[in-house]
Amino acid sequence: MGLGADRWRRRIRLERQLHDGASLRISALSLRLGLLRPDDDRFERAVGELQDELHAVLDELRAVANEIYPALLDEAGLGAALRELVDQAGMRATVRADEERFGAAVEGAAYFTVRDCLLAAADSAVHPGPVEVTVRRDGADLVLSLRGVTACHAEHVHDHARPLGGSVLVAAHGSATESTPVDGRTITVRIPCE
Amino acid sequence: MRVALAEDGALFREGLLMLLKAAGHEIVGAVAGGDELYALLATEQADVAILDIRMPPEPDGGLTTAERLRAVHPEMGLLFLSHYAESHYLMRILQIGTDGIGYRLKEKVGSVEVLTDTLDRIAAGEIVIEPVLAKRLVERPRGNKKDAVSTLSEREIDVLRLMAEGRSNNGIAGQLFVTPKAVEKHIANIFSKLGLHTDASEHHRRVLAVLTYLRSQRGVG
Repeated sequence: MGLGADRWRRRIRLERQLHDGASLRISALSLRLGLLRPDDDRFERAVGELQDELHAVLDELRAVANEIYPALLDEAGLGAALRELVDQAGMRATVRADEERFGAAVEGAAYFTVRDCLLAAADSAVHPGPVEVTVRRDGADLVLSLRGVTACHAEHVHDHARPLGGSVLVAAHGSATESTPVDGRTITVRIPCE
Repeated sequence: MRVALAEDGALFREGLLMLLKAAGHEIVGAVAGGDELYALLATEQADVAILDIRMPPEPDGGLTTAERLRAVHPEMGLLFLSHYAESHYLMRILQIGTDGIGYRLKEKVGSVEVLTDTLDRIAAGEIVIEPVLAKRLVERPRGNKKDAVSTLSEREIDVLRLMAEGRSNNGIAGQLFVTPKAVEKHIANIFSKLGLHTDASEHHRRVLAVLTYLRSQRGVG
């Protein structure tokens, strides 16, 4: 699969999510509003139900917005956004990151790298334990390490890091072997900032 | 109740104004940013100020303005509204204050009853936290076995979750269908299990309990 294919798949998924989710719900709401009569004795209940339905639409729009670029990532950086992600999804992971900023592109790539790995790890039946995520700066590079993932997760890492000139290293117990699929251990990603 | 409002989205601001009026509140001013709100409250008095978190001065003018407001009007309640319910912001809000303060999703204050209940509780000095956020923070299972919070019983966790939402003892009793006396007993157990000393005031210990709890859920390592 060519580089960048993943980005287009992501766009298609987002479009479907908007179409099948929020748009359909809003269309249905429009119909139900058209049926509403103030003299109906279920008027108040109907208004409450319509509000609940609107809340569901907003939840879906928030989910799509987060897929595009999390607001918190832009505002508060990788540490805050990754902790929030772990928190909200109830993932087994710890995040170590200070408040350093790396620019929108690098932070976005790092965020979605971690997210995809954690989601894959959560889905995996043989997942060994909690994942340790560390973000730090090394000279002009952002260095991201994911400890406790499996080597097959490196695929997600490549998708996000390569377009920015990033390099990926998969290591087993400290002995690093470039792109050799070793199961279980640490993936280290290095992305140049500028 | 006298309410001041700062929100940069004109549509939502107008909607909220209509709702506040319908609920019978007196609006001392409605502005589009934090600096304007600060200037307004130098001459006008409000019981509660409602602030959008994400507004000028960017990026999170609601929070920086609230810090300044709390310093000069410590008795005024603060209600933060946001499009997102996030623990990151909750932590920052709790650093600004732990009484007379609230954090709710914009769409969830969409009825006269909920809006008034939220404002009343803040004006009475309580912490009001968006239920989905309090719930998420409490129910998150964590691997850390040594954690004091993990020694709490299920019922005690229920009580703590409702405390984290800013409920009073009577409010908690009502939600759990038990007597206020039973709630007091649970709270005493929670304080003791979390190692909170009896010399602190009841309110202070409540806040510490909630913070201990929230911190335990963050998995900060």
